Amino acid sequence: MVRVLVIGCGNRDRGDDAAGILVVRRLQERGVDAREHSSDGLALIDAWSTAEYVILIDTVITGAPPGTISGAMGADAAVLRSATTSSHSFDVAAAIELARALDRMPGSLKIYGIEGCAFEPGTEPQPAVLAAAERVASLVLAEVQRLQAA
Amino acid sequence: MPAKTIKVDMLTRVEGEGALQIKFRGERVEDVKLTIFEPPRMFEAFLRGRHAFEAPDITARICGICPIAYQMSAVHAIEKALGVKVDPAVRELRRLFYCGEWIESHALHIYMLHAPDFLGYADAIEMARDHPEKVNQALRLKKIGNHLMTVLGGREIHPISVCVGGFYKVPTRAELRELVEDLKWARETAIETVRLVSTFPFPDFEQDYEFVALSHRDEYPLNKGRLVSNKGLDIEASEYEEHFFEQHVKHSNALQSQLRKRGSYLVGPMARFNLNYDKLPESARQVAADVGLKAPVLNPFRSIIVRAVELVFACEEALRIIGEYEPPEAPRAKVRMRAGTGHAITEAPRGILYHRYQIDGEGKILAAKIVPPTSQNQKRIEDDLWQFVPQLSALPQEEITLRCEQAVRNYDPCISCATHFLRLEITRE
Repeated sequence: MVRVLVIGCGNRDRGDDAAGILVVRRLQERGVDAREHSSDGLALIDAWSTAEYVILIDTVITGAPPGTISGAMGADAAVLRSATTSSHSFDVAAAIELARALDRMPGSLKIYGIEGCAFEPGTEPQPAVLAAAERVASLVLAEVQRLQAA
Repeated sequence: MPAKTIKVDMLTRVEGEGALQIKFRGERVEDVKLTIFEPPRMFEAFLRGRHAFEAPDITARICGICPIAYQMSAVHAIEKALGVKVDPAVRELRRLFYCGEWIESHALHIYMLHAPDFLGYADAIEMARDHPEKVNQALRLKKIGNHLMTVLGGREIHPISVCVGGFYKVPTRAELRELVEDLKWARETAIETVRLVSTFPFPDFEQDYEFVALSHRDEYPLNKGRLVSNKGLDIEASEYEEHFFEQHVKHSNALQSQLRKRGSYLVGPMARFNLNYDKLPESARQVAADVGLKAPVLNPFRSIIVRAVELVFACEEALRIIGEYEPPEAPRAKVRMRAGTGHAITEAPRGILYHRYQIDGEGKILAAKIVPPTSQNQKRIEDDLWQFVPQLSALPQEEITLRCEQAVRNYDPCISCATHFLRLEITRE
């Protein structure tokens, strides 16, 4: 059985940034090994060190309408661009780039991006983002089941 | 005479949002401004009316990289106001907790933020392609520091175990013993780090600094001692505001702190090392001596070596505390409310952090003042650039920019804390 790990990134209390966290919580209810990730991106490199197949969900900003779902596999993730201005924490894109430089990428990495645009502290995600999180949870669940049955 | 402006619109590899503007007229530097445009964060204002017990958790949110520093200065100040005596074992645990933060913060800055400047890489990711083993080492060091923080604090960022009087929960001896092997590896790696960074090329640049740090009779400073300097300052935390003042300058949202009648001063690893060299453990002093690092260090670019020596200290100190650890009888002291004012200074990884709280008889905070290390170093960073930039004037713009950013990073500034990134603008006229 393939060791699959699902990681949802984000902040539950920053509007649309909660999308990845909500997907994880939904999957945990269904017994999937899914982890919330809210801290430094560098920790991702350790988190996925024991997994063969990593599915990562995060909020993205591409200019598409809120709730739009985008997907990328492995090397395509190189098109990700950092959105942070912080140096004291590395974001997902920087962590992936660093992992690649260190040859510490998981066997496969699939990324689901959920488009967001509102990130006010203390707010809930927009309805379109909530609906997208539900759809991504279903997609990931089906994928995990398929991988584990293989 | 033609004017030239060098502009770094966003300083990278520093925390927070800031910019740097340097104006040349011919070869002469006409102006240097470290602009911090990260908006003010109003923590002091929204602490008013909150309960004193909330201060450690609220102020921890000021920074994701040094939340423990905020928690420590907050609890010490409030304990002072309330006359709380803390169990010596709790004080040792607080030092241990602080060691975790120093390890993760120093490892991050030395390898991921500052080393690329000396080795000619744009960032840690580019450096990782040529030196993967060093970057992997850094990641492991950082993880060990973070893990120590998690064991003591429940989680690494914004820990949840610290309270006025002590901890909500203290670790068992067995939980701490599990950290020993990793910390021994970290200590040896830190010693290697000192040797590595001491071989970097350093610009010829020394200044007559006033170094300000805590100093304690028999320990390297973390969370106890008087505030001293190499120019005669020797005060208690409660006297801080008599000697230091904060000034608003038009170009910065962070207040600049100065010593009355003396101006800028330097806080952080160099200040601690120069004022407390004899309190370092033997292993740290030995490796410093081996690489020719002697107090006083006056070249701020060599702060990367000092930071690595402090990394050795933090690992050594953590091992000592764990080796001698006896859990306290109670995790926290009993606390009785009373009206009062308390002051405290502790040593955040990048320098002293001052807190003052005035509270009423019910424990409500009436006033709060917080002076983070980057506010204290901000004026000194500008002063360094005034002196450093003239030797760069003949260089191409791109090179000047890189050297200036490196000079700013000597201070590991945390602009998020100080407002509470940096753009560089160089003008030549």
